[in-house]
This record gives sequence, C-alpha cells and structure tokens, in this order.
Amino acid sequence: MLTATDSDLDALESRTIYILREAFSCVSPLAMLWSIGKDSTALLWMVRKAFLGDVPFPVVLLDTGMEFPEVYAFRDQLVRDWKLPAHNEVCPPENTVDPTLPPAARHAARKTAGLRALISRESYRGIILGIRRDEQAIRAKERIFSPRNADGSWDPRTQPPELWDFFPYEVPDGAHVRIHPLLHWTELDIWRYTRRENIPYVPLYLARNGMRYRSLGESNITTPIPSDAETLDDVIAELEKTREPERAGRAMDHESEDAFERLRTTGYM
Amino acid sequence: MRQVRIVMVGDVDAGKSTILGRMLVDLGQVTPQRLAELESSSSKRGVPIEYSFLLDAFQLERDQAITLDISRIWLRMPERDYVFVDAPGHRELIRNLLTGASEVDAAILVVAVDEGITLQTRRQALFLQWFGFKELLVAVNKLDLASDAETEFARRKAEVRQFLEQLDIKPIDIVPVAAREGENIAAPAKRWPWWKGPTLLESLEALRPHAFHAGGPLRFVVQDVYRRGTNRLIAGRIESGTLRAGERVVFWPLQTDAVVTAIHRWPKEVPEAHAGDVVAISLDERVFVDRGAVASYAGDAPGMGHAIQATVVWLGSEPVAPGESLRLRIGTREVPVTLQRIDEVVDPDSLEGKPSDSLGKSDVAVVTLISRELIAADDDLDDTSIGKFVLMHGTNVVAGGRVRAVIGRPRSEGATDVVAQISSVHREERVRRNGHAGGVFWLTGLPSAGKSTVAMAVQRMLFDRGTHVYVLDGDTLRTTLNVDLGFSEEDRTENVRRTAAVAGVLADAGFVVISALISPFAADREKARAAYPESFYEIYVSCDLATAERRDVKGHYRRARLGEIQRFTGISSPYDVPEKPDLMLDTTRESIGESAARLMEFIEETTRRKLLLKS
Repeated sequence: MLTATDSDLDALESRTIYILREAFSCVSPLAMLWSIGKDSTALLWMVRKAFLGDVPFPVVLLDTGMEFPEVYAFRDQLVRDWKLPAHNEVCPPENTVDPTLPPAARHAARKTAGLRALISRESYRGIILGIRRDEQAIRAKERIFSPRNADGSWDPRTQPPELWDFFPYEVPDGAHVRIHPLLHWTELDIWRYTRRENIPYVPLYLARNGMRYRSLGESNITTPIPSDAETLDDVIAELEKTREPERAGRAMDHESEDAFERLRTTGYM
Repeated sequence: MRQVRIVMVGDVDAGKSTILGRMLVDLGQVTPQRLAELESSSSKRGVPIEYSFLLDAFQLERDQAITLDISRIWLRMPERDYVFVDAPGHRELIRNLLTGASEVDAAILVVAVDEGITLQTRRQALFLQWFGFKELLVAVNKLDLASDAETEFARRKAEVRQFLEQLDIKPIDIVPVAAREGENIAAPAKRWPWWKGPTLLESLEALRPHAFHAGGPLRFVVQDVYRRGTNRLIAGRIESGTLRAGERVVFWPLQTDAVVTAIHRWPKEVPEAHAGDVVAISLDERVFVDRGAVASYAGDAPGMGHAIQATVVWLGSEPVAPGESLRLRIGTREVPVTLQRIDEVVDPDSLEGKPSDSLGKSDVAVVTLISRELIAADDDLDDTSIGKFVLMHGTNVVAGGRVRAVIGRPRSEGATDVVAQISSVHREERVRRNGHAGGVFWLTGLPSAGKSTVAMAVQRMLFDRGTHVYVLDGDTLRTTLNVDLGFSEEDRTENVRRTAAVAGVLADAGFVVISALISPFAADREKARAAYPESFYEIYVSCDLATAERRDVKGHYRRARLGEIQRFTGISSPYDVPEKPDLMLDTTRESIGESAARLMEFIEETTRRKLLLKS
C-alpha cells in the first residue's frame, strides 16, 4: 500500500469541513456526539478548523459510566485545552432497555436511549456523528445526511437521494437528521491525519505489555488486541498489514447476525 | 491519488454484489471469521456460500437475495485502493443508484450473458451518460451458464459495443467473468483458453480518479459568512480555478466586488487556494455577500440569467407538467423556479428524444426552468464548476440536473440581455454636479412608529438646502408599483425587494432616498442593502408597541386587534428588530423634531463627507 500523500489527507479534510459548514448553515439547533475515541476527536479538530478555532455547538458524551478511566481523564484535559462547550449526558440504566437484546447490545441500547432523551429535551434537529463506512457493513450503507424519525429510528429502505453535495437537511418537526462528516475516511486515514495534525488521542490505543485497544467502547464490552505498536508510527505500520476488522474487539457487533442492524434501525450511532 | 471510486451498475441479478464479494474473498481480504459468518448466514438460508452477503448486509437484502441500498467496500491493492459502490439494479430504487453514481470516479457495467442488454440496463447506461461518464468498463457475467462460452461472449460483446456507441460512451474493456466460479475475476480463467485479455482485476488499472477542475475559471461558492468581532469571514469552497490573496473578485449574482485580503485555513493563512479547497476569506470592503453567492474574477464571470436549459433525471414518484413550482439548489444557492417547458424526453429503447407533456419517474429529459431571481451558473457539459443541481418539491429531491445553457432572458418577454450596461455618465460626475452623493436611508420600524412622519420632515429640510431628495413611502407604493402584493411573507419580501431596487436606481441617479417601509424581516433588509451597497444605511425607528398602538395613526391596530386585519406586524405578524442599525431613532422618548434633526445630521454627514473624500 502506498502512503497517503498530504494532498489525499487535504482532500478528505476539505470534504469533512464542507459537510460541517453545510450542517451548521442549514440545520439548527445542532449538537455533536463526542465518544472521546480517535474518530470523533479528529472530527472535533476539523470542527475547529471549519469554524476558525470555534466550536459553535455543544459536544456531547453519552455517558454510561462505564468508560475507561483514561477516557474520562482525556476528556477533561481536552475540554480545558480546547475550551470545548462539552456536555455529559448520563444514559438511563440497563433495566430500562429491551431485554431481548444480547447482553453487550443492551449497553448500546442505553446509549440510544440517552441520545433519544437528549434530542427530545433540547429539540435538536441535527446530530453530528463521527462514524465511518469502512467500520461495519451496515454503516457502509449510510448517507452523509440521514433523516431519522421522531423516535430516532432509521428506515434504510426510504433513504432520500443524496446527489453530489446537495444534502437533504430539511426534516419534519420532531424528527432530526444525523450528519456523518467522516463516512469517507478509513481507520488508516484517521491515524495518518492524527499524526500529521498532531491531534491528541487516548493512550489506550498504544500497546502496553503486548496489548492495545484498536476500538474503544465501554470497558466491560471491549477487548484489547495483541500488539507491539507502542507509538503512532507503529500503529499505522500495523494497520497497513492487518486483515483483522477494526471492531473485532467490540462484543455487540458479533452476538448475532442482525445485532448491529437492530441497534442501528432503532437509533444507535 | 491513491484511491479510485467505482460504481457497479447493471440489471437486477446480473451479479454485481457477487462479483465484488468474490473479488474480495479471492484476494484474501476477508478474514476467516468473516468468511465463517458468511457461510453460516448462507446455510441458514439454504444457499451455497453467498458472496454478495459481504455487501448486502441488511436482513431483508439477504432474505430476498437483492441489493436494496448502495454499499461501499474497500479493496486494498499495492498501487492504490479501490472503493466499490454497489448500487441496486431495481427500477424502483433509482434514487439509490443515482446517489451511488454521483460519488464515484468510474463505472463498471455488469451484463449477464443469458440476458444481454435489458431495458433496465439501457436505462442505467443512460443515467451514466447523463452523469457525464465518457467511458466505462464492462463485465459480461455468468459465462458458466453458457454452453459455448466463447461464442456467446463474442455475441454479447458486439451487442454491448454497438449499444455504447449509440450513447457515445467508450468501453475501456469488455471482460468475460463467471463470478460464482471465480473465473477471470482476480485470477485468470482456467476454463477459457480462448480468452487472452485481462482479468477484471487487471482491467481496473485503466480507471482514473476524478479530480476537481484545477484549471478553468475561478468559482468560489459561499457557504456562510461568519462574524468574528468586526471581521467578516466568508466561508466556502473553490469549485474550480485558483483563488489568490490580493486579487479582486466579483460576487454573483449581486455583482458586488472586493479585494481578497486573506485566505484562512485555520490555524494558518495561505497565499492561494485551489479547486477542492474549503477556506474562509477576508475582504477589504464591507460588501454584501451571503450564502449562495459565487465569486469569480471579473473577466471570467459565470453565465447569468433568469432561465436555464438543463438535462434532468426525474426521481419524483408523481409525474409533473409544465407550470409546476419547484426549488432549484445550485452551488449553495436556493431559488424558486418554474418548470417552463419539457423540451424532450429520451426514450430508453431508441435513445431518441421525443416530445412529452409530462415527466415521470426515471425519465431523462431536457427541460427549461425559469426564475424570478437571477441565477449564476455554468454550462455543465464539460463537467466544470457550477453546473450541477437538484430540484426540490417541498422537502423532497425530485430531480438531479446538469445545466446545458444559461439563458439571459429577463422575466418579461422581449428583452434579451441582462448584462448591466456601463453608464455614459459616471457616478462621480453626478456627485460633483449635485454637490452631494446619493444614498439610501432605509427606515424600518413598527406601524405608527413615525417612519413616514420623520421621512417627510427630513425631506422638506433637505429639499430646502438644495439636496436632490425623494421619499419612497411604503403605503404610497402599495397603491402603484406594489399594488399586486399582499401581506404574506413572500409578498412582504417582494415588496422590500422592489422598493430597494427603485431606491437603488434613484440613489445611482444621485438622489438621497429616504424609504419608509415596515420591512419587518432582517433578511430582506440585508438583501435591500445590495441595491446600493456603496451607501446604504439601516435606520431603526424604534417605538414600543404600546405607544405605537396608542398613536394608531390609521386605525389599523384597532382593526388588527378585532381580527379585521390579518398578518399585522407587531400583532399577528413578526418584526425582526435590527441588531446593529446604522442609526437608531427612538420616537418613544424623543420628539419627531429631535428624531428628524438627528437623521438630518446623519444624512448630511454621510452624503457630504463622501463628496469630500471622493473629489
């Protein structure tokens, strides 16, 4: 694989900034979900680029209380350093979600419920999310602007057309649109960009004692992978070779064939 | 560029998802775990390993063995990455196919050897032609089903060649494959010794990524204007050409111009920016610019007109006829348009244009659209900058379009050119003769706030001092110029637009124009500024509602309270208080005489100072 050139990263970045500005111009009120992971942190950096240093909408962590301590520490540091308008949304407890879901997916359903509560309380019409198409086969089918019903659900069979860069930003009252400015990035792109731009990241992504996290979910449903990648350069070199999928360590994707589709159609990120 | 995006098109069941799935498996890009998931999903549905499930991730897609929505899958090769966009073949799902085709660099057309070029294949190829694809790669699939593969492939190949010729599309290669067997996908065909050409994988090397139009005229599309203290930063994307700091640019369609003093790519500034770059710029002058404007260099303007002729693909489920009101989105601009004429609809069978009095779903047609507003656009035939658009009906996208020609015809029939003439008398000459500059002093405020009273008092004073002055009174104009307008939001907007246009003409002729209109909407007032941006002042005649209602000069408040007048500003229709008026007159606290004097001073200072500076 050839190394991504600076102009490749510039093109990816420009497209993301274009999408962010379209969202800010056309959708209001607006908020962004920040999972504190590598993707949404890189996205947050591009938000600052798009609005010349400002972050003109709230950035929200959907908090199940189960994130790694390193994740909370990283959040607090970045909120101070970047002066972020951050908001911590506490998700409802596990006994409030669909008990027929497999165990790890129930965790995700708590986040979905937290998001739904947030949207209805703040009347958000737009939610910006840092998902990518190469993460997962269902996410590969997403649009950049994805209208959701009032209950947050997604009906993939009726997705509106999205021709060139004309995004469908109008939604009926009570409904909202999910905005996905990172869909066209890959995992490798994100790390190469993080390295080039010197964007901070949670240290759990680097190997300690032969293990590292490739994808960060809640501490009880995410497992590390064997790895010797102790620096960002090592991580990039490792990813250039691997065939293992990024979310292999995320239990909720693999509990049943339709686990992730069920999560997403009911409103998961 | 290390990445090429490719859309797969072809009829339902031609095997598009299977080809992609097979290619990934054969190249070892699917993990053993994923392969095991695939086998279990397939056997659950009683089928041998189904490669298409790699892309058809939805339960419904797997159960019915069809693709419903586009999917994207990455293929990592040593020289570069490929992103495949797998599009559904169903006629009902063309919105998904078009979405997929609009995000790629190249296309592969898949034809099943047993079916050949079906009507749906013709339709899809027609869409590709409409998108501007000049060449594509063809895979003739399912050769394992043919009793004499060589002969049947040769027959289909000739058929495809002839068909694409009609569309003026060049086949880069026509390659035989058998996706289920893996023949000639990633590895050379074992069973077809007659085939000396490339595998499908090898033929991908001929596909080229699309780039933004680096050459070509500058087109900077404005997304937004951000205020940072007193600075205004104009945010947008360069669609073509190069933008350089220090150069003067013109913003269309309002035709305001200014010099670019800085190009910001936070956290740094850059001396120039190129096609595809998303930046923010600072200008040397405060000219009116808003979302939707397009900047160019003076000598390289886009086409301007009230009508465009375009090729469209109709996506709406309801048929439409001429006369339909739609919204045009082009660049970042939105304008109301009317479908004036359907010039022709392409018949997918014969590929010939035929007259038609309506447009139906998946029709490809040439149409003419007209608008009350000026549209800035480029002809999109050579895939340059501001030529692609969508049409909206309500909140639905009902068509994609590409501009063929901008027709410079104004709203009324007869006139043929909308390019402004250069006047034989220069503005400075008028200023010198008159002894003062022209300008627009735009009074806004609630009914009975005192706008007309102040305007008339000041007009008298100025006239007596020899100033060329004229008052444009809202109520008076509603009996003449604006007699056809009511009080709906659109009509109020139009009322302000027309009055501003007249004010601009008078100011250009050297007059001091004082307009007295409620002009309740901030956005309309901001647009009015563009009628004479050199010297336009927003004057807020402030008065609290209770005082205005007590005055009730014309008895309107009483009638509005009784419900006899609908949409009365301040009672049943909103008023946007000016955020930063150039001058505020508070008629609750000061007398008409005091307000008039302050306005008088303000006008004298601005129109006479201008003279001192300029002469």
